[in-house]
Amino acid sequence: MNFWIVQALNGLQLSMLLFLLSIGLTVIFGLMHFVNLAHGALYALGAYVGVSAFALTGMYWGAFLLAPIAVALAGVVLYLGLIRRMRKAGPMNQVLVTFGLIFVLLDITRIIWGDLALSIPEPQLFTGRSEVLGVAYPTYRLFIIGLGLTVMAGLWLLLSRTQIGAMIRAGVDNDQMAACLGINVERLFFIVFCIGCALAGLAGAVAAPVLSVTPSMGTQLLIPVLIVVVIGGLGSLKGAIAGSLLVGFIQTFGAVLAPQLASVAIYALLAAVLIFRPAGLFPAKA
Amino acid sequence: MFHQTTTKTVTILLLFIGMAIYTVFAGFYGRELVIEAAYLVILAISLDMVAGYGGMVSLCHGAIFGIGAYVFAILTGMMGISPFIALVAAIAASGLFGLFVGAVTSRTSGIFFIMTTLAFGQMVYVYTFENRALGGDDGMSGVARLDLSMIGIDTNDSLQFALLAVVFAALSYAVAAFIMRSGFGRTLVGIRSNEVRMRALGLPVLRYKAFAFGISGALAGLAGTIAAQQTMFVSPEMMSWMMSGEALVIVILGGLGTLVGAAVGAVLFVFLQHEVSEVTRYWHMVVGLVLILVVVLGNRGAYGQIEHLLERRKKGAPKASALEVAAEKDASHA
Repeated sequence: MNFWIVQALNGLQLSMLLFLLSIGLTVIFGLMHFVNLAHGALYALGAYVGVSAFALTGMYWGAFLLAPIAVALAGVVLYLGLIRRMRKAGPMNQVLVTFGLIFVLLDITRIIWGDLALSIPEPQLFTGRSEVLGVAYPTYRLFIIGLGLTVMAGLWLLLSRTQIGAMIRAGVDNDQMAACLGINVERLFFIVFCIGCALAGLAGAVAAPVLSVTPSMGTQLLIPVLIVVVIGGLGSLKGAIAGSLLVGFIQTFGAVLAPQLASVAIYALLAAVLIFRPAGLFPAKA
Repeated sequence: MFHQTTTKTVTILLLFIGMAIYTVFAGFYGRELVIEAAYLVILAISLDMVAGYGGMVSLCHGAIFGIGAYVFAILTGMMGISPFIALVAAIAASGLFGLFVGAVTSRTSGIFFIMTTLAFGQMVYVYTFENRALGGDDGMSGVARLDLSMIGIDTNDSLQFALLAVVFAALSYAVAAFIMRSGFGRTLVGIRSNEVRMRALGLPVLRYKAFAFGISGALAGLAGTIAAQQTMFVSPEMMSWMMSGEALVIVILGGLGTLVGAAVGAVLFVFLQHEVSEVTRYWHMVVGLVLILVVVLGNRGAYGQIEHLLERRKKGAPKASALEVAAEKDASHA
């Protein structure tokens, strides 16, 4: 029984990490029809900035705060310099440009921080283990789960209860119509892109104490995140939640129960969804 | 639409002859580079057939390339089967896998096509990576090379093997050009330009797309067998999506939808990689910047740019038919 609880918590923790990354990607995808393969590289950048921020401030919370800000700033630069002009360029060109960006960002992190794996210690507040449902589980991982749930709730409130959320939903549904109604869709894109980048940076800083910080951490996580986005449905919050949980749990339980089958199963699931329900499980558009 | 123009003929001949001459005078390391360039030429041409002419941007060509390499490695290395049979089997297996992926994905388009091919490619990669019987992440060694001693070629000699690889690359170009010039190739371009209209004309569009992917897969598999023979070793890294991405980068650097561009791109890529790596460790950054620049500047690639300049110089001459212009315009948007 303990085994199942621990694994379920592990799955939940991975799901939350995937969620933090995929929500930015999915809204950018759904709203801007933009494929940003460099999203994973931004997550890695967040982790590295976190490492430096920790070295600078000596506090985990320095990393926690500075990483999202730094990555959002990087997002501003990318948006103004490159992404704005690639918006109408078609999926292949977007894939190519952001693929090029992966290479560039990868080497930038290598130049600044080197090739060795780095890490940040857990914050003092959340060291050790806590008792959950009768099992001792690392407190920091519980913190990740809690953070993920908080962001989830916050975004849900933002999207469903505020004016800007309604504008974003309108933009995802029909951007031209939204523009006709006087919504500045262009500015909306920009804001959403920056929030997406900030969340990717946050995910990087949060993952840094659990995973080792290496240049390739972004490309490793990119594919599962893309799977989450596509399975869930482009631009859909519900889809990102469902997709993250599905992929997180399949990966975690698969790895312990049937390693060979599980890794293939995720891709098989992706292919099946793409072929039979190309819009995803929870399409954002009606 | 594909035309074997004089510019194309001259460029491709110069390229292959140049590679052959370089091979003769280069040392062992130079010959290794030529072999790498040769199999990348084949891989890039195979990708250009579907991406450039069929509008199907595949992110699983690395996996198909790897399937060719692994089937060849399993048959020659593990089972000791004759390399000739292994070569045929590897090409057939890659072709069949391509046909399968093509058939399943033919209904999807745009970003969904890209993602679906990515999924299939990664499935193959992960399966191989986790499969201990295939050496898992360590890969597999002991691959045999083709035995051509009866016609006096020693494939274990670096010069002769490199020349053989160049010959394979040239043959692949000839085959691809022949297919693209045929009615099949023209139909494919028609599908890319206007799928709905081709369907309305009564064409089994999905079948055409699947076959095109199958043929392209077979060619990618051939590239894989050469890669496996070069190092006599295969690793799952050949199958990862980064490999597929690299193949796409090569096609773009050379010029999408020209076939010659793919070949030029592969040679440029290997040459650049070698030269830049001498100067700096950060070769990927250079590739990334060049790639971004090429795409932002209109996505013509090296060979496409040459063709474009020649075209502009000839601008006084009467242009081809309006249809042709439309097709060209379409090609630049693909």
